[in-house]
Amino acid sequence: MAVGTILFILVLQTVLRFNILDPVLWALYFPSFLDGIVLTLRYLGIILPLSAVIGFTVGWARIAPFRTLSWPLSVFVDFFRGVPPIIVVIFAAVLGPSLLPARFRSQDIGIIIAALTLAMHSGAYQSEIFRAGFMSVPRGQLEAAQSLGMTRGAAMRYVVLPQALRLSIPPLANEFAVVVKDTSLLAIVGGFELFGSSFIFEQQILFSPGNQLSWIFVVWTAVALVYFVMTFAVTELLNAIDRRYHVKGLEAVTV
Amino acid sequence: MIRVEELQKRFGALHVLKGVNLEVQKGEVLVIIGPSGSGKSTLLRCINLLIEPDSGRVFLDGTQVNRRDIRPEWVRQQVGMVFQSFNLFAHLTALQNVTLGPVRVLGTDAAAAEAQGRKLLDRVGLADKADAYPAQLSGGQQQRVAIARALAMNPKAMLFDEPTSALDPEYIREVLDVMAALAMDGMTMIVVTHEMGFASTAAKRILFMDAGRIIEEGSPEEIFHRPKQERTRMFVGKILR
Repeated sequence: MAVGTILFILVLQTVLRFNILDPVLWALYFPSFLDGIVLTLRYLGIILPLSAVIGFTVGWARIAPFRTLSWPLSVFVDFFRGVPPIIVVIFAAVLGPSLLPARFRSQDIGIIIAALTLAMHSGAYQSEIFRAGFMSVPRGQLEAAQSLGMTRGAAMRYVVLPQALRLSIPPLANEFAVVVKDTSLLAIVGGFELFGSSFIFEQQILFSPGNQLSWIFVVWTAVALVYFVMTFAVTELLNAIDRRYHVKGLEAVTV
Repeated sequence: MIRVEELQKRFGALHVLKGVNLEVQKGEVLVIIGPSGSGKSTLLRCINLLIEPDSGRVFLDGTQVNRRDIRPEWVRQQVGMVFQSFNLFAHLTALQNVTLGPVRVLGTDAAAAEAQGRKLLDRVGLADKADAYPAQLSGGQQQRVAIARALAMNPKAMLFDEPTSALDPEYIREVLDVMAALAMDGMTMIVVTHEMGFASTAAKRILFMDAGRIIEEGSPEEIFHRPKQERTRMFVGKILR
């Protein structure tokens, strides 16, 4: 994988005539590049766990025997599935702060609220993943657990949940990859994460004397590479969890 | 041991049980036969309260158990159940399937539960499959683990819901052998099955159910060879062929 990536970049820079390691550019670009990576990782640190918690809770609530929450939650899921996240992010950043008491309004509160809505956006998708996971566990499993004298709660905890989570991990890895890249949407409301900080930098060098057009390729190739590595790391982590808890034939049991 | 009086159950417009009465003595094996949709599975599930009956009474050891003040979990842990589709816990090994109930419901400590579990797997002839997952076992092996899993709760009685109907023919024998051995050991059993051989040798009494009612009751000889009711005659004629 690493060798393939390096080869691809080498070919790319030969064809497009740029030098990915251009020292002049990196001297200018490195601070915003590094700040951008750090900020992106911070957003991910909030968004990924929060979205998983939202997804799991909503997914579970929608299969639970009590139906009261079912309707509002399906509205929640349909809303975030149907509206482009970039529009939700704009509304959240512009309107969000005015909904809060004054003492919570710091300079970057809009972006934080926007990040939270990204977590809700992905949470809506993940709730469908978890819900599908729960529903893939055959009804007979719950019945068998109850026939041993387990309460419904114990049957969920010891029998249904361990299987539902295992079935949810592979599609979850897919969704997490989307979340990593969706953090770039925060750039539109002034979040200087990797995409935003690089975009600002690019605008500056475009109009400064002595620049080279090929620097644009360097910047965006470097940014793409970082997103690629982050996505790869997140999915690999989930794949490792999947392998660790893999049970032979679990996915095949459909009786 | 188990007595059922005037049991009624409806699922919406469907009237599944229309006043069923039965009694099983301690150590007795009762076989129930009947066409699909006659209410046999629902009857079994009402006995261990997996399904709550609409009306009627279920007695276990002389105590009415379908009452508000008795937890259904308490009833279920005393009446084991074996399902047509095995329903082994897919994420657990054979041994873990057998020990989960004792550990989580009875509070047995892990080591004792494991020792008992291995003994039970040995009893159903699967001592060497303790660490296999359900998907690695044949249907017959899975069903035998399921029997061991139910036995691990040390039940007073066992319910079998068509335990061999989902099996390939070559695996039916091994499951019936385990059930016959269980009957010999004096286990109280209610078995829904169409296995005539098992019914004739293991059961003293057979019930024929149709459309939510018990139509006829008798010895295997009477039910299979001298049925009194026309409906029994037609059904037995079909399965004997």
